[in-house]
Amino acid sequence: MFSLYKKELQSYYYSPFAYVIAALFLVLFSFEFINGISNMEGTMYKFSFPNIFHNNFFFFIFLIPALTMRTFADERKTGTEVLLMTSPLNVFQIVIAKFLAVSTVFLMMIVLTLFFPMITLAAGEVVWSSLICGYLGFFLWGLVCIAVGMLMSSFTDSPIIAGILGEGAVVLLIFIDNFKDSALFDNLPKAAKVIGWFSTQSRFVSFSQGIFKLSDLVFFITATVLFLGWNIISIEKRRWSRG
Amino acid sequence: MIEIRNLTKFYGHNAAVKNVSFNVNDNEILGFLGPNGAGKSSTMNIITGYLPSTSGTVLINGVDIAENPAAAKKQIGYLPEIPPVYQDMKVKEYLKFAAGIKGIKKRDRNAQVEDVMDKLKIKDMEKRLIRNLSKGYKQRVGFAQALLGNPPILILDEPTVGLDPAQVIEVRNLITSLKKNHTIILSSHILQEIQAICDKVVIISHGEIRAIDTIKNLEDSMGEGIVLHLTADGPREAVSYLIENTSGVLKIEDITYVKSNCYTYHIKIDNEDVKKELMSSLIKNDFEISDVSSSKPSLEEVFVRLTSKPAAKKSLNELLEEMDNNPDFNEEER
Repeated sequence: MFSLYKKELQSYYYSPFAYVIAALFLVLFSFEFINGISNMEGTMYKFSFPNIFHNNFFFFIFLIPALTMRTFADERKTGTEVLLMTSPLNVFQIVIAKFLAVSTVFLMMIVLTLFFPMITLAAGEVVWSSLICGYLGFFLWGLVCIAVGMLMSSFTDSPIIAGILGEGAVVLLIFIDNFKDSALFDNLPKAAKVIGWFSTQSRFVSFSQGIFKLSDLVFFITATVLFLGWNIISIEKRRWSRG
Repeated sequence: MIEIRNLTKFYGHNAAVKNVSFNVNDNEILGFLGPNGAGKSSTMNIITGYLPSTSGTVLINGVDIAENPAAAKKQIGYLPEIPPVYQDMKVKEYLKFAAGIKGIKKRDRNAQVEDVMDKLKIKDMEKRLIRNLSKGYKQRVGFAQALLGNPPILILDEPTVGLDPAQVIEVRNLITSLKKNHTIILSSHILQEIQAICDKVVIISHGEIRAIDTIKNLEDSMGEGIVLHLTADGPREAVSYLIENTSGVLKIEDITYVKSNCYTYHIKIDNEDVKKELMSSLIKNDFEISDVSSSKPSLEEVFVRLTSKPAAKKSLNELLEEMDNNPDFNEEER
């Protein structure tokens, strides 16, 4: 399983792929950072990292599916899926190895952004609790998006379609709150409540305020596990129905 | 030893493999022969555990592939139709990765990889990107991957496709040498290849097994008589009348023109004795014989005969199903 993880990770860094995405991510992040600084008002000079993060995960919509779109679709397209499926590895191990590899790439991207708090620290002060929780929430949300993106990749054998499906799914994840608050649900408080269970933004907000709630942590982890489980089922199902 | 029992595979309503059973003994090369779309690859995908079967069992040295896939898959090396190579990897790197996922211990990996690269003669390509290799080399890298871990059973789906003639011979020699300590199933639609290296043949068509036998037995049993090619002088009608009235002659298949008043008759006969009788009667009637030869039907003819037969309908249900699926039938109804 470690071999597969290593190979997956290498495949990201052997091609310009991971670098391009990480660079794009950092460019967008620094825009948000500059934005935060330039919007400072009043006598207290402060801006919040969680805010920057909050703006940043809208970029997940295209960044994460770009990372995950190839995971299964490409293997199927080039016929290398046969190698994995006829090896003694089971589907669970394959999915986990791939998930860990993408997560590692994502983690690297986040680690690079530590540069910004460092600059801030050099010139002023940071609120540690809020920063750490913000990072944690950001990372956990990223994991959910990776799991969703991989699931979409297991549905098709075209990476492009996997990417587009992934974008759609992440959009749905992020905007489910806005959907809940829309006028459509004014008369359906119960439905709004049910949708509210799946809301992700509000959970991130509590993280970003430096509030670490166990229920939020459980939510993100459960969502990741569920999507990965669905991923395994989807691959097994394809084995049975392939024509 | 591979035991395949009543294997059936449905894709939706279409049966790709119907009730296939056969055994492959240790150190035997089994040739899997059939026209395109006969169900060869499907069967191989099921044997290797890539696809599940609809019903039936596959036992790999006594281990059921569906019940204990990890243990069964460890004993199999598989070269699929399209070599499962990653375009972005280098040859050696790829083989090391494949050794890793096959669960070969880290300290043995290097030696194993070197060993298979030697066997397939790809050592000088080890630092090349697979993307830049020719089709033949990709095929060999895929083959090398199948040999990793020295699995007792090898499943090779058209291993010589895309190779040049010299490479084909090399690979065939390799397969023959592997026979000493491997059990091999090899699919191909090249008859000469099967004839050259296989001990046993399974001929499959429309998902059904048409014959399981050694090549020699197949040729003997399927060869309905011998064809005699006889060139004789004399008027065509008279000679053919004489031939047809000799006992033991089944029929004249064809008559070809050689020169004026001289034809070659292709005659199907019962056995070799008929040949003598035929010739003596021709000579008795003053027809001069300028050439005689006889031929047995080749594996090729056997193959065509076996696979061109329409699939036998086992039940009324199957027949009805076919009518439903076949647009020609429906159009006639309208």
